[in-house]
Amino acid sequence: MGAKRPVLHRQVADRLWFCVWLPQLPLEANRSSEAATAIVEEQHGIHRILLADAEASAAGVMPGQAANAALALLPTLQLEERSLLREQQALEGLASWLERFSSFISIADHDVLVLEIAGSVRLFGGLQELRQRMSKGLRELGLTAALAIAPTPLAATWMARAGRRACIRDDTNLGAALRKLPLFCMDWPAGLCEALTGMGVTTVGDCLRLPREGFTRRFGAEYLLQLDRALGHLPDPRNSWRAPERFCVDYEMTEEQTDRKLLLNICRELLLSHEQFLLARQLGTQRVCFSFFHLKGPATELRLGCARAERSAGRWLELLGIRFEQLVLPGPVIAVRLRSGMAQPLQAESGALSFHGKPGATAPRFSITQLAERLIARIGDQSVQAASMVAEHRPDYAWRSQSLLADWSGTTLDTPEQSAQRPLWMLPEPALLPADSGYPVHQGCRLRLIDGPERLETGWWDEDGISRDYYTAAGTDGRRLWVFRNRNRTSSWYLHGYFG
Amino acid sequence: MSSSLDKILANPRVWRGRDQAGRRAGLASGYPELDRHLPGGGWPRESLTEVLTEHYGIGELRLLMPALARLSTETSTQDFTEPGWIAWVAPPFQPYPPALQQCGIDLSRMLIVRPRDDSEILWSAEQALSSGTCAAVLLWPSILDDQASRRLQLAAEKGRSWAIAFRPLAARRQPSAAALRLELHPDGQATRVHILKSRGGRPAVITQLL
Repeated sequence: MGAKRPVLHRQVADRLWFCVWLPQLPLEANRSSEAATAIVEEQHGIHRILLADAEASAAGVMPGQAANAALALLPTLQLEERSLLREQQALEGLASWLERFSSFISIADHDVLVLEIAGSVRLFGGLQELRQRMSKGLRELGLTAALAIAPTPLAATWMARAGRRACIRDDTNLGAALRKLPLFCMDWPAGLCEALTGMGVTTVGDCLRLPREGFTRRFGAEYLLQLDRALGHLPDPRNSWRAPERFCVDYEMTEEQTDRKLLLNICRELLLSHEQFLLARQLGTQRVCFSFFHLKGPATELRLGCARAERSAGRWLELLGIRFEQLVLPGPVIAVRLRSGMAQPLQAESGALSFHGKPGATAPRFSITQLAERLIARIGDQSVQAASMVAEHRPDYAWRSQSLLADWSGTTLDTPEQSAQRPLWMLPEPALLPADSGYPVHQGCRLRLIDGPERLETGWWDEDGISRDYYTAAGTDGRRLWVFRNRNRTSSWYLHGYFG
Repeated sequence: MSSSLDKILANPRVWRGRDQAGRRAGLASGYPELDRHLPGGGWPRESLTEVLTEHYGIGELRLLMPALARLSTETSTQDFTEPGWIAWVAPPFQPYPPALQQCGIDLSRMLIVRPRDDSEILWSAEQALSSGTCAAVLLWPSILDDQASRRLQLAAEKGRSWAIAFRPLAARRQPSAAALRLELHPDGQATRVHILKSRGGRPAVITQLL
């Protein structure tokens, strides 16, 4: 394949790719117990073994076997249906964990991740150190992985698949190392590999020795392209993978639990990983939501809110503690999910300057936002409110209440000073008063009108226009009431507030 | 004459009941007639005050408004701290913002909490009182036993906040740890105030107050 090779451009020596191949991923992502497990996949209507763990393999369970045959060999065998979704989740979980090693991570295949690490080598104290850290971390995550380092992503992938603990830093060594690799590591279709083997081609080197034109004609340009990319003759652009900026993690249990202490501990674990997630991005969030899943019935949800973006597990745990006591779980819990709200950049808090700090003075235990958060956590978002004014003549519309979690600064409007006195207590809805010869009656006594009327006739532009005469009335029980008479045909009396 | 009397009073062995609470100046109520009867010349800050009425709406808020308005706008000249918040816990009706503004209350420092039951009312009030950010906490508990009033009193001391509990007249017979207990009665167009209990002061009746 010598003569018509593409012109060698500046090669990829300034890039170094680290490949993580997870050969056991289907098994590791799908297994649910410690017992001997095999993963099955449906092929042409028959469930066949895809992968078996060591214990099952020792009993003779082999990939490709029918599920029944495997069960005959090992009756205690745990069969798990393969879930590509779960594998994808596991892979993405690993990718987000790997983000600590590199800023460029790409999911190359359903079981392959590649990282660009040229820039990270120095930071982590050399390739060996980096590699050791990574293998240690992967072991702790419970994943079996093959690692390889090469100047191109494809070369790294192939070496990892071939099981070579290779570490090639130079382009010059790349060709020689690749040539020795067997065919299967390229993960080409089985038919193609068979055809090549039939021709006596068994290694990557053999492929490269074939004439380029003939290779393209017989097998397609795609595979030649792959070879060129692996050798670094052609650029191999990759998509960078980014962890989603929203945290959503499930904690699944093997059996249903009712122990609240245990559940709280699981929530704590989730909050800690949530904190890690946000810390890596310098973000915080204002809301988190816990879902407690039951085998039967809908999940129980528990939402927590903070007035400011927050990531500290301690703060969330404090809020959770207040709410968790009262949480009613309709049944035992099988899984817990933590979902965070929109992540936002954390605002740094400036410490207060104290010029005249009195020696005896004590700082407030917590700020108003913290107080509001505590109250909201226990009695609910809608129950804690701030109020502000609205420039409006209709008494019902002259104010509004808003949630304390909203940005409450600067919402109060400066309205011109009203001359007429308003009552301090307002009824939620005007209450109809009976009338006695044209005068309103409250609690069995005719009211004496002592001030008024103040005519409010406005709001014609929307559905809720009013036309009322407001009076101050004195009741016999000493209360002063704010009453009005509708100026429509019914002209009935209503009580709207007390002067308190 | 007066100097020799002062000398005697300056003697630490002379103990005067009024001074116990009077050492801290009270918060001027805005009603000179009332201030004269209160030890310290005003509302007792950092403690629990109980206001007993037959109905809500007979003037119990008007009685407090001048003092609350001062609390919500006044900046301490000593440590330049911001004015405190005023929390309303379980008010029986909606406190009407336009009227509050007319009375001089800063609406942006007002917090309205509507708990669902009695234990939550007391819990919320205690949290607000002990937080140290609320200058005053107004609460309308449906029950408030001796122990709960003691807790509120302690929380108010801890958070240096003024707790005001509004209760029905029937609560008069129940013991309470409040530093000040008032009873309000409508009296024609005005209101009559009975001081039932006043730590460091004396019971009194003030007619025609509001």
